[in-house]
Amino acid sequence: MIIPVVWMSAITYAAMITILCLGFTLTHMTAKIPNFAHGTYAGFGVYVSFTVTRVLGYSPYIGFPLAIVLGGVIGMILYFVVVATLRRMGGGTIVLTISTIAIQIFMAQALHIYAYWVRENLGFMSYGFLLKQNDFRILGFQGIFPMSVIICATVVILLYYMLRRTKFGIAMRATAEDPQLSSVLGININRIQMFSWFLTGGLACLAGAMLPLWFMGSPTAGVRLLVSCMAGSLLGGLENIYGAIVGGFSVGMIEILLTAWLQKVVGLWVGEYRPLVPMILTIGILLIEPSGISGYIERWRISPKGQDFFARFGRSSE
Amino acid sequence: MIGQMGAMVAIEYQRILIDIAMFFGLFVIVAMALNFQYGNAGVPNFGCAVSASIGGYMVSAVVTRILFWMGAQAGVGIIPYASDYDWVYNNQMNTYMMNDYLQTNMFLGASMFLFSLALGFVAGWALGYIISLPAIRLRATYLIITLITMADAAQILGRNIVPISGGTLGMFVPNVLAWYPGDRTILTAVVTLIIGIVSYFIIRTMLNSPYGRLMRAVRENPVTVNSIGKNVTKIRRDVLMFASGMTAVLGVILAYYYSFVIETNYIRATWTYWPWLMLMIGGPGNNAGTFVGCALIIAMRRLIIVFKWRIARFIWYPVVFFESQLLGLLLIVFMVFRPNGLIPEKLLRIPGINYKRLVRETTEVDWRVSRRKQPTEGDAKKRGGLGSLKFWGKNK
Repeated sequence: MIIPVVWMSAITYAAMITILCLGFTLTHMTAKIPNFAHGTYAGFGVYVSFTVTRVLGYSPYIGFPLAIVLGGVIGMILYFVVVATLRRMGGGTIVLTISTIAIQIFMAQALHIYAYWVRENLGFMSYGFLLKQNDFRILGFQGIFPMSVIICATVVILLYYMLRRTKFGIAMRATAEDPQLSSVLGININRIQMFSWFLTGGLACLAGAMLPLWFMGSPTAGVRLLVSCMAGSLLGGLENIYGAIVGGFSVGMIEILLTAWLQKVVGLWVGEYRPLVPMILTIGILLIEPSGISGYIERWRISPKGQDFFARFGRSSE
Repeated sequence: MIGQMGAMVAIEYQRILIDIAMFFGLFVIVAMALNFQYGNAGVPNFGCAVSASIGGYMVSAVVTRILFWMGAQAGVGIIPYASDYDWVYNNQMNTYMMNDYLQTNMFLGASMFLFSLALGFVAGWALGYIISLPAIRLRATYLIITLITMADAAQILGRNIVPISGGTLGMFVPNVLAWYPGDRTILTAVVTLIIGIVSYFIIRTMLNSPYGRLMRAVRENPVTVNSIGKNVTKIRRDVLMFASGMTAVLGVILAYYYSFVIETNYIRATWTYWPWLMLMIGGPGNNAGTFVGCALIIAMRRLIIVFKWRIARFIWYPVVFFESQLLGLLLIVFMVFRPNGLIPEKLLRIPGINYKRLVRETTEVDWRVSRRKQPTEGDAKKRGGLGSLKFWGKNK
């Protein structure tokens, strides 16, 4: 079986963006803010992989659970120190959003400082590295290609199971829907919020840990993913977690495949404009359908056509 | 250490002061424009960097070309600049010769400076329309995401399209203030401060006019404003466009201050995050707070840069990381401990309205109400059953 390198690259990238989008959408659903520090979590994941592989000398895959824990702890700390505090002070959406940008700047500097420390004291090249040669090979593929798909699928299935089947997940969805009402029903909102920030941070850090196995890692590598992540979340619709899966995967695929195709057709110089692809997608989505795919499906479902469709299978559209 | 610092300030007094004044002038314009948008109309503009960069790009792409063309017409030995290669590699030589020419030609320099300011404003104004197109009618979240995305897009375009600003190498721009015999930076700083003062008065007048009150109404409750027949989307878009034009003027001045345009001069962290930080520290909604926040941040930043090597003795990592961390931390600390900023918003003072009389009139109205006998339940009973029914019915 021969798969073109571009397709492998696109699928790996799309799997990463999907995991990032899940976290971004989850934060937006529970806290109602776009979290601009989300890309920087991924930056921490990049350096977890770097440390485990280069400094400690293990396989990068050992770093993945560590990345989840580290990202989760960072997310929880941020929730306690910044978001919950500002909420208690009565900060609105804008104040919380600008504070996530402040967090992003602070954490990006922390990454720079770590990279600087590693370079000065341990003598590793920490400002731009690739861990491809530390990866294992399976059936002639780089290990990260099947692994990223497996990890992405596992995350999606686990998240689906948690949100649909467990009591905790249902409580989480209720909190996202209406915090006041769910607190009346006896749900501990604070714990739910804390867990959702843990989950977001952990997932983003996991996606970041996968990054240097295929793409170049640097202190700013995580921040660069943010635009694609936002485009994916918008395409899926910011209000629906399943939309994020579809949106994230399509944006990741479109970004790599379209750029590769255009490079073949127009010329190699198009590669410079790769970050513009998710930006144009963002603008297009907002102009055509601001509520994304999930919003479109929701509208179709309550329209007469949709009701007819559901009636044919003997189910109500609700 | 403070004594040493004082001695350093005395020696480099003039330069630091000019530097601080210049950057204060620059940032106060963008912070005031931001205050105009967010503090007064409630438009969260996270895309100030786009507007600033369009000003710089206008100087490098349009004004420089016009000047080279004029120089070629006037017989200055301008070497070819049409192709991408010539545009970048002959740029220094051309700029050097243009500067010589502009030294003797005051009228051309001054008029080109004013022209570039106007061009920057118009370009920023038009750009405001474009960047507000996708998301101005949607929720604040969408607007923020779009504008942040646009700021990155402006940088990518500036980096890769060579005819705009020389791509990654940057562009020198002719010094249109070359006719001034003294220090160019002093003149630039003075001009910047004058533009800042003028824009302050323009903004103050706008805020005190009926339109300013309309803007505040939009901020407080857009639904109500919509229901009384005002087009909220249009008001928001107009505000964004005007402020974007003002921010573009700042991009123009920055290009002339550095005499150099490159896309990294207009990065998002500097031109979006710092104005927001100033606004939040000073307190959104009033210009005095903006001035205070701006002065604090600028003084802190410039002093950190100037005394970098003294600070570096105390920290083991590069000072530039420390500076950014400090700025990031400052916002969160201020948001937690002083959510309304250093100077909280006060009631808008409108010239021509006698507040004392307003207050007296309301007290008089209160007096009359209290003097008149209030209808009680007993009165209703005296009037008979039907009357009391009517009384209750009215209240329902």
